[in-house]
Amino acid sequence: MLELRSRRSRLLVQLLVTLLVAPFVFPLVAMVQGSLAGAGWGNYRTVLSLDLLPRFFLNSALIAAGVIVIVLACTLTAAFGFSKLPLRGREVFFWLLLACLTLPEVVLLAPLFATVTAAGAYNTLWAVIIPVAALQIPFAVLLARNFVDGIPTELVEAARVDGASTWRAFVHVVAPLTKPIVAAVVVLVFISSWNGYLFPLLFLQTPEQQTITLVPQFFVGRYNNDQTKVLAAAVVTALPVIIAYVCFQRFFERGLAAGALK
Amino acid sequence: MTRAATGGSALAAGAGLPPSGVTVGGAEVGLSAETPAPPRPAGPWYRQMAGLPWILPALVVSVGVLYYCIGYTGFISTLKWDGASPQADRVGAGNYVRMVNDPIFWRALQHTAVFFLVTFAVQVLLGMTFAVILHSQVRLRVLYKVLVFVPVVIAPATTAPVFRQVYAPDGQLNAVLGFLGLPDTNAWLANGTTAMLVVMTVQIWQSTGINFVLYYAAMSQIDTEILEAARLDGASNLRVVGSIIWPGVRGTTLAIAILTAIGSLKTFDIPFLITTGGPSYSTEFLGTQIYRVSVALSQVGYGAALSIVLLVLALLMAVALNLAGKERGASRA
Repeated sequence: MLELRSRRSRLLVQLLVTLLVAPFVFPLVAMVQGSLAGAGWGNYRTVLSLDLLPRFFLNSALIAAGVIVIVLACTLTAAFGFSKLPLRGREVFFWLLLACLTLPEVVLLAPLFATVTAAGAYNTLWAVIIPVAALQIPFAVLLARNFVDGIPTELVEAARVDGASTWRAFVHVVAPLTKPIVAAVVVLVFISSWNGYLFPLLFLQTPEQQTITLVPQFFVGRYNNDQTKVLAAAVVTALPVIIAYVCFQRFFERGLAAGALK
Repeated sequence: MTRAATGGSALAAGAGLPPSGVTVGGAEVGLSAETPAPPRPAGPWYRQMAGLPWILPALVVSVGVLYYCIGYTGFISTLKWDGASPQADRVGAGNYVRMVNDPIFWRALQHTAVFFLVTFAVQVLLGMTFAVILHSQVRLRVLYKVLVFVPVVIAPATTAPVFRQVYAPDGQLNAVLGFLGLPDTNAWLANGTTAMLVVMTVQIWQSTGINFVLYYAAMSQIDTEILEAARLDGASNLRVVGSIIWPGVRGTTLAIAILTAIGSLKTFDIPFLITTGGPSYSTEFLGTQIYRVSVALSQVGYGAALSIVLLVLALLMAVALNLAGKERGASRA
């Protein structure tokens, strides 16, 4: 975009962008540096030797997997129904979903708590999976419907003429074409469920059921506010997501940009 | 085009997906400007509703759960209830009257507005700058991009202890200031104004990456021939940014404005974890107030009334988002 003819101007812009990026790197450096203060690598040894740590990761992974499966199943079928099948009152149903697009999760606090307790789901992963999935579905359906609208209806009709049922037309014709939007939805849903804080905080009581976003608090309680160990725990919990992002950069950037709406 | 389809594709465009189609993972997302007409309902009623079983799972999980919760919240908001005891008094609009007379509620609203204005302005400036520079011939572009985007993928809950440490009186920020010969004994989190600035900087740190990627994608759509023509006419870099690029990404800026407004209303994790809304409510947002009132004070009825207000504000934003999308669609046509 900028025309940088001379060496000097190129150097200047390079310097400028470096200066601007520095504050973004600073907290990450502070995190690593702080985690190595005091006992040094010993902090990591303490954190990693904690027998509950794999449990936290497992719970976060189970929640993310559960949410992804529910959201994808609901979203792809709904997109197909909205886009390719006769449906009276189509737009009314669509608007019912879209109205939930900007719903802040804290608004659901009281009724969810009452319902979760009454259903006996308190302190189970389901208490987090279902509300998170419910909040993710509207946007995922919006994205997926727009995508499926672009798949020619003739393809579906041709399959029907050849004697395929609606189900087979969906499974064999439409679903295989939706891979790009599935990738975007998976990234979006993964990040928001993996990073979710409020619902795990509210609904998961015992350490055995808690997720990685609750780890800092756990360490504050366990190690009497020893900052170095809390920061070591922060590094350990942040690393997997950073690695996933670096490996799948394009998917993450596109998926999250599409979902910036959240 | 149906109404919802217009709104829908405009939303997708607002989120950085031009309606002409953008590639996601190698294939087209977003779609042709012409939305194909969906199959028209005809025949007996069960034929006309053939799509219903297909959308039912989504409706049950999402609309079912969320609308039930919203209705329940509305009901609770007319009660004086601690959330646990069987005893709940009906107080009608009492909680809402209390809200109007609650100075903390008004302060939370005010904080949300200021928070929105500042984070929006700074993120637009930073996002534009990064996008323009990284579209130019500089080295290590991928590295810069990754570094700015990494904060987007890390949980606020994970980084909160880091920021508490960085902004502590003996933390890294003061160390850097001391190194530069500036006053280095600031208690950033103990003062209301600076605590608010801390919350803002953390939000900016967290979400600039997204806005940068949105601008970056929008700028890829600008016709390079126009840029070259401007150069031939002797336009300076500043002139090109001001007269071609900035108007060219106007739609993205509008989308970012609304997205940031929704984000400001939803603000919870960062103030809750870094300042807990303090000192003395100076970083209180609607989200943190709802949590404090409902959970810490067990005034679930009042919390529900606050929730309903937050809900209405968020809905207004959704409408604004849709109207803005329509305006953009019209101006494009």
